[in-house]
Amino acid sequence: MENQKERNILSKVNFKTIFPYLGLLGVIIFFQIYSGGRVLTASNFKAIVSECFFIIIGVTGYVFIMAQGNLDFSIGAVMGLCCATASLGASIHPVLAIPFAIIPGGLAGLINGMVHVKLKVGALIGTMSVQFIVNGILILILAAGSLTAPLHMLKWYTMPVRFIMILIIVLVGLYFFHYTSYGKSCRAMGTCHEAARQSGVKVGALKITAFVVMGVLTGLLGFFSLIRTGTSTVLTGSELLMNVLCAALLGGIPLSGGAGTKFDSVIIGSLTMAFLTNGMVLMGLSTYDKQLIKGIVFLITIAISFDRKNMVVIK
Amino acid sequence: MGQQKVLFEARDLYKSFGITKALKGVRLELRSGEILGLIGENGSGKSTLTSIIAGIQPANSGLMYFEGKAFEAKSSVEANQAGISMILQEKSTFDHLSVANNIFIGIEKRFRHAGILDGRRMRREAKKALGEIGADHISPAGMLGNLSFEDGKLVELARAMAMDPQILIIDETTTALSRSGRDILYSIIERMKKEGKSVIFISHDIDEMMEKCDRLTILRDGNYIDTLKKKDYSPQMIRKLMVGREITDNYYRLDMESCKNPEVVLKARSVSAGHLSDVSFVLHKGEILGFGGLADCGMHDIGRLAFGLIPARSGEILNEAGEKITDPAQAMDRKIGYIAKNRDQEALMVNAPIRDNICIASYKKLAKRGCILPGAENQFVDRWAKELEIKMLSGRQYVMELSGGNKQKVALAKWLGFGADIFILDCPTRGIDIGVKTNIYNLMAKLRNEGKSIILISEELPEIIGMSDRVIILKDGKISGEFRREEQLTETKLIDYMV
Repeated sequence: MENQKERNILSKVNFKTIFPYLGLLGVIIFFQIYSGGRVLTASNFKAIVSECFFIIIGVTGYVFIMAQGNLDFSIGAVMGLCCATASLGASIHPVLAIPFAIIPGGLAGLINGMVHVKLKVGALIGTMSVQFIVNGILILILAAGSLTAPLHMLKWYTMPVRFIMILIIVLVGLYFFHYTSYGKSCRAMGTCHEAARQSGVKVGALKITAFVVMGVLTGLLGFFSLIRTGTSTVLTGSELLMNVLCAALLGGIPLSGGAGTKFDSVIIGSLTMAFLTNGMVLMGLSTYDKQLIKGIVFLITIAISFDRKNMVVIK
Repeated sequence: MGQQKVLFEARDLYKSFGITKALKGVRLELRSGEILGLIGENGSGKSTLTSIIAGIQPANSGLMYFEGKAFEAKSSVEANQAGISMILQEKSTFDHLSVANNIFIGIEKRFRHAGILDGRRMRREAKKALGEIGADHISPAGMLGNLSFEDGKLVELARAMAMDPQILIIDETTTALSRSGRDILYSIIERMKKEGKSVIFISHDIDEMMEKCDRLTILRDGNYIDTLKKKDYSPQMIRKLMVGREITDNYYRLDMESCKNPEVVLKARSVSAGHLSDVSFVLHKGEILGFGGLADCGMHDIGRLAFGLIPARSGEILNEAGEKITDPAQAMDRKIGYIAKNRDQEALMVNAPIRDNICIASYKKLAKRGCILPGAENQFVDRWAKELEIKMLSGRQYVMELSGGNKQKVALAKWLGFGADIFILDCPTRGIDIGVKTNIYNLMAKLRNEGKSIILISEELPEIIGMSDRVIILKDGKISGEFRREEQLTETKLIDYMV
């Protein structure tokens, strides 16, 4: 009887870690069959990378915030704003689009961090307020309806550029997350805030940095969104938050953060999300149908992955 | 005392948590009008056994009889109704409710009229319940969160007694109580006994157990070992049965010399912070400085202050270099390490691997050009886990799964590995068995001889007297006495300065 119990515990642990991989596999197989084998083809690979691009860069920033046990609800709005400011920059000189995207992003992150750390407002409510404010600013900037970028900038958005960006950002993220004091301290903080503080972790500084980095990455996404579509509208970035959060959960990042947060979740989750979106496109679903299905997937993932046991005090 | 009738009996109780077997066929027999002591090291199964009796958790198998009938409580409410009340080791009151609400929690029905709660009557009854246990100083209308830990425990006691129990179980409560609190508890125990009711009493303090209990049941590693009658008590015998081998009486420092080094490594100049007001002291190199006093005398704030966790309202606390200590990270720059009394919430991340807990303070040291490789971490963990003889499967094991003593060793390993020069230890042996206690005392003596300084804050006077070069006693946040290490220093002498 004892042995059986032991085995049960082991299988539970294993299930938690392999669940995201099974999810990815399941999504690929499902769409491979339903699309008549159109998912795993060379031409579709490019589409997958494109789908993946925004999500994986977003989740790379998000995983540090989540490891700390926090959430950032403002990223979609910030991306929209940065896309707009980037097009303002581009109207002066195309190269200026990059700093014009990244700096407002970083500032928005700094505000998120300051509101949370200095004003001691919960990250959820704090970033939500910032989201409203940023949305307001965006609407003011886009008074004319939408902004555009010089057409020749669209040529910057090439496959190699995207591929290399993903590679660099993911590798740097992985390195910081698992091999530096910074990443380890983020996880320590999410595990037990007070114990981390009493072990010398500078909790406030860590939180602010994570929000700033997230902001900068979101700014970068705003820039890429501009050179992908050539325009900036109020809808730019509106899907980012759900895609990123959904990918993070599908990848197995616990909502509570802490020691159980692993970086491979970033890659697995983003790929799952990319295959899911891509598969739905191949099946000819409309944007609105996709939204609905993603919402359902999001709910199911939360229901499965939410760690109810850790919510009760373990004795 | 003749042969009284058996009131409660448990036979062949088994209980396991995952792969840990907490009880392996334990039995217990409780007679009417008796005080039964339950004694054993940490992890011997005392709390598990009593919580099963009190209906807090079920056993995997086994039988229980209460007043001759088969008994099994599915919840603590059921056990309460049957006449078994328990006071837990941990705090089990609600901060945001009033004292009266806490006392009658779960049985508010008593005060309900046509769906409306009669608050006035509840407070009146609460006042009576508090009065009956001799805790008149607590106001029933006050918020529980505003009470000291000790008064909170007294409220729990009032709650348990309001149920008019046949059996009262007291799990490791006395360590949290001051003398007056203990006296209240003891008088209740005596009264229960006189009324022919029974008490199961758990405490680490062997002297206390020998004095108060009619019989002692000894557990070891989840096994029933023996039950001793009062006339057979001897501390050596009890310790031997608890640990399974001979333990000498003297596990404190044997030398009687006190620190002669004039070099000051920490200095407080008329500091007021937290509960402390106008406190001045110095800590020397190679010295163990003990702080003692009653539960709310402010001694715990000494540690928090010296580690930069609470700010000084006035005055200043300076490190070796003469800089003010402002926050933990800065205190650590000057090689100060701190282990909080509240081990599981503040000193350790119980929900993380042992590896992370030992390495966390030393990431700077472990990084080569900013990069921390898993190999470096594992080597570090192996080294310090070995040094402290931590019983673990691997560094990947979660701290949550360790016993209290091993957890404390992990916390110590963190600061040893960090290379602290000043150790601030707040109740380092709280709830820890004799074996690990001895290890910790030996370690402290060794650190002292290596020229490290230790601030020892403790609620156990023998420990402070046994280990410190110098003892400072606090009373109501002020220093009331300072003593050098000497043969003549006794508990009674120090208690005079505490109350």
